[in-house]
Amino acid sequence: MYGWTGTTLRVDLTDGKVTREPTDVNLAHQYLGARGLGGKIIRDEVAPETDPLSPGNKIVFAPGPLTGTFAPSAGRYNVVTKAPLNNVIAASNSGGAFGPELKFAGYDALILEGKAESPVYLWIDNDTVEVRDAGAIWGHDTQDTTDLVRAETDEDAKVACIGPGGEHLSPIATVMNEMHRAAGRTGVGAVMGSKNLKAIAVSGTGAVKVADPERFKTAVTKARKMIQENPVGGTGLGAYGTDVLVNILNQTGALPTRNYQDGYFPTADKTGGESLAAKQLVRRKGCFSCIISCGRVTKVDNPAYAGFGEGPEYETAWSFGADCGIDDLDAITKANFLCNEYGLDTISLGSTIACAMELFERGYITTKDTDGIQLTFGNVAAMVEMTRKACEGDGFGAKLAQGSYRLAESYGHPELSMTCKKQEMPAYDPRGVQGIGLNYATGNRGGCHVRGYTISVEVLGQLTPMDPRVTEGKAALDIAFQNLTAALDSTGACLFSTFGIGAPELAEMLSAVTGVEYPVDEFMKIGERVWNAERLWNLQQGYTAADDTLPKRLLTEPIKTGPSKGQVSHLDKMLPEYYAARGWDDQGVPTPEKLAALSLDKTTVPRKTKAKEAVTA
Amino acid sequence: MTVKYFATIRTYAGEATRRLDEAPATLRELLDVLTQRYGMAFHNAVLEDGDLSPQVIILVNGRNVLYLQKLSTPLEPQDEVSIFPMVAGG
Repeated sequence: MYGWTGTTLRVDLTDGKVTREPTDVNLAHQYLGARGLGGKIIRDEVAPETDPLSPGNKIVFAPGPLTGTFAPSAGRYNVVTKAPLNNVIAASNSGGAFGPELKFAGYDALILEGKAESPVYLWIDNDTVEVRDAGAIWGHDTQDTTDLVRAETDEDAKVACIGPGGEHLSPIATVMNEMHRAAGRTGVGAVMGSKNLKAIAVSGTGAVKVADPERFKTAVTKARKMIQENPVGGTGLGAYGTDVLVNILNQTGALPTRNYQDGYFPTADKTGGESLAAKQLVRRKGCFSCIISCGRVTKVDNPAYAGFGEGPEYETAWSFGADCGIDDLDAITKANFLCNEYGLDTISLGSTIACAMELFERGYITTKDTDGIQLTFGNVAAMVEMTRKACEGDGFGAKLAQGSYRLAESYGHPELSMTCKKQEMPAYDPRGVQGIGLNYATGNRGGCHVRGYTISVEVLGQLTPMDPRVTEGKAALDIAFQNLTAALDSTGACLFSTFGIGAPELAEMLSAVTGVEYPVDEFMKIGERVWNAERLWNLQQGYTAADDTLPKRLLTEPIKTGPSKGQVSHLDKMLPEYYAARGWDDQGVPTPEKLAALSLDKTTVPRKTKAKEAVTA
Repeated sequence: MTVKYFATIRTYAGEATRRLDEAPATLRELLDVLTQRYGMAFHNAVLEDGDLSPQVIILVNGRNVLYLQKLSTPLEPQDEVSIFPMVAGG
């Protein structure tokens, strides 16, 4: 095989058995890798009713066929499992160099199953795979863990690990690789924690075989040029990082503020990318094979919040910032550092603290609940302290670490959780940007912007601009973005490469690498297949059309101030059109005709896995 | 009228905000006034061949001028104009 290594690695943590299996060629062609192939493995091998934190759940680390090649920004991998947060197929995407290293070691996917009796870590050195004792490492944060594992293995090993957040089984726990890159959403870190798996270290010396090097070189040259000439991919993202969006969304009136009670935060500029560049930026940083370098290496000198690390990204600057009514960038960055060190999702935790602040201000909780802390919007010290408490599972922090849905529901006010399918929405207010609201509502993993980033078209005016306030055409827009993103995620390329290239360029690079011809329509069909397969899983989990919605606040409470004052989401106008355009019935169930066209079965029957080649444990 | 600058546009302008006592009639006229104040680096950032540059985002009262009347968008004294380079995130 080209592009794919042809080998899938399976480790049973219960008995330490390690096996190698040929990667299923047909499935690879149909689902590519990463999100697509990882999701297929979970659907085939994990019974739908499985408790996500039980030994019966599995967790897959999967790069894609482009990962590890010199396609631009093709350094991604996905962590795929049944999600502790909300039972969906978790496909949490991360960059850095861990994914490419897994390919260089020779693997299309790493499947982990069972549960170790005591803490362990996995050491993959090309063909040599060892399950090692992690008793002395358990309890350490992600940075110390990375250092300790490297000291015991290889100083250049790429390490993915969990912090105390994953050990505590928080449903918003992350997997962190190379200390600062996060597979952040839906609680994948808790699955590692439930298996007593602290870390995975990888060292590989191989390379990704390319079917047609000349064709690939031509395709890569063209793609790189298109990204470099794009104002976003070429200069915008690299110059200020993702945090530059704070001011654009605020000036549009779509920056969710104080737990989505408003859409405009007057002092947001203090938290934007311009301020970050002036106060905290040390240098830019890119992932493997990246020509954009949107990452920010940052340092905070303020003694109260001093630290060194990476970020914050836009979503984080918002969740601990405007959403909590806070404009202190040093404090926001400190909260970001804490989450990375302890392994918690910054979007979900910031949004959960904002939810707690509203519960507090409305009198639904008091200082008796919050360990004596006045948890009001704008209270900077309280925000940082609550972040620390959540990271350490200390007092009220243990409740925060459960995410906003469980928190708000426990106090009888789930309506104050700003979630879709129990996952916290990110930093774009659907009342000011109609299409992104439809994307949140229909998102297969809940509130999420990186499943269908319509902001490109609606706010930034890229491609064919569409007015953010209109609903016409948004169903088709969302579907196109969702399908393209599902296909792209499955290749191992970065979403930001679409600020320059699209399906034709991705399909051409994929064809050149794999030697399998992928016309553009077939490439997009893979994305549609992945999307529908994830939908089928959700239906099996009990999700219905009633879950394809937004928090009531966004449908009924107009934005109070700023440029989008008076706006609400008109989801009801878009959703029926979306179902019809998807080829689903009026209850959001894919029709038999649609499933047949995508070669999908309605039901998923877990198949018994077969070990093809046993090697040393 | 208030004009706000962000990211690299702020660098070209040398300031974050400018208040104008009188509002030009249209966005095109405003950009001409601002070019006189800030020079060609600013001009080249916002205009290309006499049209709106594809590398800029301009909002009038929070509305992208692409959805209004682009350079012909009429302006009023109480308006707030925001000018960004083309950037993105996620």
